[in-house]
Amino acid sequence: MKTRTLLRCALATAVAVALAGPAWAGEPITATFWYSYGGKVRQVTEEMVKKFNGSQTKYRIDGSFQGDYFQALAKIRAAITTKTAPAIFHVIGEAMPDLWQGGMFENLEPYVKSTGVKSEDFVQALSQHGYFDYYGKSVPLFAIPFNRSMPVMYYNKDLLDAKGVKVPTSWDELRDAATKLTVREGNEVKTWGFEVPVDWWFWHGLLYQAGGSLLSADGKQAGFRQKGGEALQYWVDMVNKHKIMKRPGGKDYNAWEVTNTDFINQKAAMIFTSTAFVNYLTENVKFKMGTAFLPKKEKFAAPTGGTFFVMIKDATPAQKEAGWAFIKWMSEPSQAVYWSQNTGYICTNEPAIAGAEMQKFYKENPNYRVAYEQLKYAQRMPFTPALIRIQREVIQPNLEAPVIGLKTVDETMAAAEKAANDILAGK
Amino acid sequence: MGWTRLIRRQTLLGYALILPSMAFFFIFYIYPVVYSFYLSFFTWDMLKPKQFIALRNYQELLGTEEFREVLGNTLTYSLGVVGLAMGFGLFLALLLNNRTKLSSLFQACIFTSYIVSWVAVSLLWIWMLDPQYGLVNYLGSFLGMSPVDWLGNHSLALWTLVGVTVWKVIGYPMIIFLAGLQSISQDYYEAASLDGAGAWHRFRYITWPLLTPTTVFLFITLTIATFQGFDIVNIMTQGGPVHATSIYVFYIYEQAFHYFRIGRASAAVMICFGLILALTYAQHRVFRRKVHYTQVG
Repeated sequence: MKTRTLLRCALATAVAVALAGPAWAGEPITATFWYSYGGKVRQVTEEMVKKFNGSQTKYRIDGSFQGDYFQALAKIRAAITTKTAPAIFHVIGEAMPDLWQGGMFENLEPYVKSTGVKSEDFVQALSQHGYFDYYGKSVPLFAIPFNRSMPVMYYNKDLLDAKGVKVPTSWDELRDAATKLTVREGNEVKTWGFEVPVDWWFWHGLLYQAGGSLLSADGKQAGFRQKGGEALQYWVDMVNKHKIMKRPGGKDYNAWEVTNTDFINQKAAMIFTSTAFVNYLTENVKFKMGTAFLPKKEKFAAPTGGTFFVMIKDATPAQKEAGWAFIKWMSEPSQAVYWSQNTGYICTNEPAIAGAEMQKFYKENPNYRVAYEQLKYAQRMPFTPALIRIQREVIQPNLEAPVIGLKTVDETMAAAEKAANDILAGK
Repeated sequence: MGWTRLIRRQTLLGYALILPSMAFFFIFYIYPVVYSFYLSFFTWDMLKPKQFIALRNYQELLGTEEFREVLGNTLTYSLGVVGLAMGFGLFLALLLNNRTKLSSLFQACIFTSYIVSWVAVSLLWIWMLDPQYGLVNYLGSFLGMSPVDWLGNHSLALWTLVGVTVWKVIGYPMIIFLAGLQSISQDYYEAASLDGAGAWHRFRYITWPLLTPTTVFLFITLTIATFQGFDIVNIMTQGGPVHATSIYVFYIYEQAFHYFRIGRASAAVMICFGLILALTYAQHRVFRRKVHYTQVG
């Protein structure tokens, strides 16, 4: 009899504990965070996740590495279909309109209001409302800037000084500088004057520098044919006519790696790549390195890049609560500063940038400041679900053909314009 | 126990025993193929609801220049690999068809590349073929060659991949041909030498005809295998430059997971399935009468 009562008590206690659940036992609410970078940036991300988990006991974020941005986009769709999606994700701006329309994202305005986050503290050009041109539509806040960047020009100061070349500020100056800096030994090129991945992002910059725009003023038609052609022709001529630009091989981010490696090995004197690599390049180059705005044609212009934090609508309320706590913490001044100083991405917190710590940092590391200053020339992306398809299917795969001499720039741009209009019309 | 009950019990037992394998087969082979067929009539990006568009995926595929280019690339890649691998494989087999220790060593070395993973081989060869830092161009410079952009040159890239593939798989036809050679009775060769037949005659009239079952087997299996080529493209060139190395399975992957056009990718899968089926049937019919099997006894 006594044993039976004892057993009953034990059972009742066990049930009570199980029902009271994690809160009673002190278990943190967990949420998964999918992230997608390699190298230094991945290290810093993992450090910060650990820091967040260590700084409080209410929430725990489990980070999970997913390959590059585009691999992660494929995985997130599969995950949503099978209802195993993470709570927090980060995504490139170009993909957001399509995914928002597909119902993937949680509306973040209630979270912002209830936790007292001040949206005006975010650097406006880096925020969602500063990134897009909504063409008069009203779109709620669903994304918080995370690792935001701009393309910048990196130059090998030693090589430029040795030849007495000034840092170029226009397309013509870049062409002249690259000509002076290209070194040939017989058939082989020892140093290329200029190198840039033949990529949508840099083409976008050149398009706007030439005075063009991606879409028409009402956002309904493709508008890039002529000026986009000028931009492409500039590259085509530098590679094939003047032979001063190297076209790095490999698709997508493989080409970016080649560009960085060539710059570090002094095989390219000037490159365009993201400010996100400023930390990596600073640590690896054995020469004096400088950064500068992308050269202008009619005006200075450049897109912003990188990703935004988003929350998946299908996650449970508890997971979303944990996710928001993490996102809010990451956007706080000390985290924003730490993130920016250790990677090279632009600090997203305006008061932090104006503060003493960042100002001192920029003074000692002027290369980190350039992207922030270039923000005043940032170009907006059109908020349309067609944007990601225009990037991935219409522009990106077709930029290469004229550069390697398979098609003319006119042919390519005409076909691209038609394809873009088909996509905008919903075909 | 009655006779029919015994048979029924044994039949049921039989089905029960193969049920796990059958279940696996149905879930992972039959079901995906049927579902792919179904999906090929829709437009779907794995996010928004599916939209029925009947045959438009097929029309769009067969109408685009890129698809025709992909088919051409796949055919070139396949015939290139099969022809070269079988040719060199046979040559190596004839060379190493003896029981010396040196032969065994060579056979083992040549076969290792076949069993190593595609990913490792691809990563290795990317660096060997690099136009600026690669070993191939470095060695070529001693022969007076100027650096070649093996993977970045539009006309050369696919043949570079053929070369890497042949390097990797050559052990397979070599081993199969060796087995085939060793199954030919020495009596034929003795009789032929007694009659005064030279090496070429022995090859042309004994070895080659008696190798036909092996040759046909290799031709069919290698063709199907090359049609499934993917890793090498995904790692080395990602279909570039400008679709020069985009072969069929990579194209399907690109449509599905880069562009999220699941319907179109499924239609491409169905077309591929149909092509391989037709190819296998055609090969079977063509070679049926040309295969010589040795008579026993």
